[in-house]
Amino acid sequence: MVVKVKNVVKRYEEKIALDHFNMEVNEGEILGLLGPNGCGKTTAINCILSLLKFDKGEIQVFGRKMTPNSYDIKRQIGLVPQEVSVFENLTVKENIDYFCGLYIDDKNTRRQYVEEAIEFVGLKDYVRFYPRKLSGGLKRRLNIACGIVHKPKLIFLDEPTVAVDAQSRNFILEGIKKLNREGSTVIYTTHYLEEAEMLCNRIIIMDNGKDIASGTIEELKAMITTLEKIVVRFVNIEDEVINKMYKIPHVIDIERNGEDFIIKFENGINNLSNLLSFIAEYNLTYIKLYSQLPTLNDVFLELTGKELRD
Amino acid sequence: MTVFKYFLKIALKNKWIIIMYISIFFVMTLLNSTDAMKREEAFEETRLNIGIIDKSNSELSSSLKDYLKEKNNIVATKEDEEYIKEQIFLEIADAVIIIPEDFTERVIEKEEAIIIYKDDRKPHSIQIENQINKFLAFANITYQNGQFALGDVKEALKENTQVHVLSKSGFFENSSIETWFRYYFNFTGYVILAVYIAIIGIVMSDFRDERIDNRRKISSKKLLEFNKEIYLGQLTLAIAVTSVFIIASILLMGRYIGHIYYIKYLINLMVFSLSILCLTFLINNITRNKHVITTLSTVLSLGSSFISGVMVPQELLGEKVLLVAKFFPVYYFVRINDAVINSLSEVAFELFMQVLFAVAFLLLGLMFSKKAQRI
Repeated sequence: MVVKVKNVVKRYEEKIALDHFNMEVNEGEILGLLGPNGCGKTTAINCILSLLKFDKGEIQVFGRKMTPNSYDIKRQIGLVPQEVSVFENLTVKENIDYFCGLYIDDKNTRRQYVEEAIEFVGLKDYVRFYPRKLSGGLKRRLNIACGIVHKPKLIFLDEPTVAVDAQSRNFILEGIKKLNREGSTVIYTTHYLEEAEMLCNRIIIMDNGKDIASGTIEELKAMITTLEKIVVRFVNIEDEVINKMYKIPHVIDIERNGEDFIIKFENGINNLSNLLSFIAEYNLTYIKLYSQLPTLNDVFLELTGKELRD
Repeated sequence: MTVFKYFLKIALKNKWIIIMYISIFFVMTLLNSTDAMKREEAFEETRLNIGIIDKSNSELSSSLKDYLKEKNNIVATKEDEEYIKEQIFLEIADAVIIIPEDFTERVIEKEEAIIIYKDDRKPHSIQIENQINKFLAFANITYQNGQFALGDVKEALKENTQVHVLSKSGFFENSSIETWFRYYFNFTGYVILAVYIAIIGIVMSDFRDERIDNRRKISSKKLLEFNKEIYLGQLTLAIAVTSVFIIASILLMGRYIGHIYYIKYLINLMVFSLSILCLTFLINNITRNKHVITTLSTVLSLGSSFISGVMVPQELLGEKVLLVAKFFPVYYFVRINDAVINSLSEVAFELFMQVLFAVAFLLLGLMFSKKAQRI
């Protein structure tokens, strides 16, 4: 176990930022911390890294209690903070070299690591640039390079793709996969569902400072009652017929979204053919009809009663 | 030593602030040196504007007044120290003299008989002092059987002496050299105050930026090591800046160093630099905001320098102003520069006060630093 967080409580006066929060991270995995803004993701990371004191609970990193003076543990950790945290007065290369110097004393090793980090984030053509001259995406890459330059075994990435263009975003996500392939364990916080689905081996869903569910994507989807949604747009349909649709096996709910009907089923067996039989029986005409498997948003919606993007 | 290296690197990226302050300083020094070092070879008595307050109203004081009226223009004044100092500061009067009630007795007893308010930086301030001294010296000589022969004094004062300057070295030269060094080092104090707070403050605000500091906190760099390198960087920068002024004083006036008590300026500047470094430490632990730091740099350096006598001599500043100035190390720094001494023990109190300020700033800084480190 690389990280173990047990029943951690963090209070800011009256507000509870972490409410008996639990988390376990295994070696070599990419763990996603998924939750809306303000749910406590960054607070959790800051508590794990001893940047914040917590009121209750226990945190272990690499099997040992983490404190502000655990320098040997810190040597193995890298952080890519949510905001770009670099010196505006230093160039790209100087910034990476400075942050590498906080871990690596040997000059030659440092030089090699800095070169590798520059190569890794694709900033070779910008080494003499000051951060203010870089685009948002390139700044994010610099932010990542400063966090991973010392080749840490455990990397915390706190929403590294916020306000980044699509090209840089893909570059960053591919980079994270590569870091993971090279042996780093990654803890990745995000409120982007697609990123979590694409990147993470395991996900912890957070809301109001609590870990409300955790598991692989399949495990999380299996936790909810809605296992299939079929979206259909009819040419003309009467309310009476809509009510009769509830009699189709496994239908649990029907929602109207503009001209579309979203029919929710509790399991995924023969739902589509049952619906098509109903359409034939009532001689209905449809313009479009497609089936959707549940998404993480559905999982979040069912577990918390709200959309993740709220 | 990465932190040390990048501390100096970021400081050098703000080199224009240092260059600007130092350039202005040296331009002012050069302009000042042409005035301060100018040697007069011809002397001419000019009519000065003086104010006289006669509280004695004796025969002797009337005679002195008549003599001074012959040589100078009399301006109205009143017996109010603030008013008199303002008149001199605004150059309404070149000097104001107060003749005390017991003037005659004081002259007979050969005691300090007259209070003179004047601007010591101006050469004509010596002239009025000379005229009074000349009158009193002659009056004393004629004193016999409880009487002054004021008629003889008047006659004697009409006599003129032809003066030929045989040698340019000596008192006047030493005096102008001393003046040059005094101004030079007083102004150095102002620049050091401004540059230390501005440059070290700006660099530290980068290092103490919460986001960057968090990266340091989660790194394997021990806090003690980090602080050691940061303070070594500050010390190196401080030594470099202070050395520029010491070296420049040697380059500009090195040939005269033997004529003055140079070690006084040197030690005073070092102790002052230390106290300002500690003040900078305190400020950096109170605020990380660059705008606040640059504002403090300007306000503190200009404000405390002005009220402490860097720009205007302390003699011309009001008591209340000087009372406030005593809460700043610049006051004691200027007092040492202005003092004519033969041994450093004569200014031990002023040196001690600067060290005391350094310790107080350091302790306060540590207190704020501990508070900030709490997570």
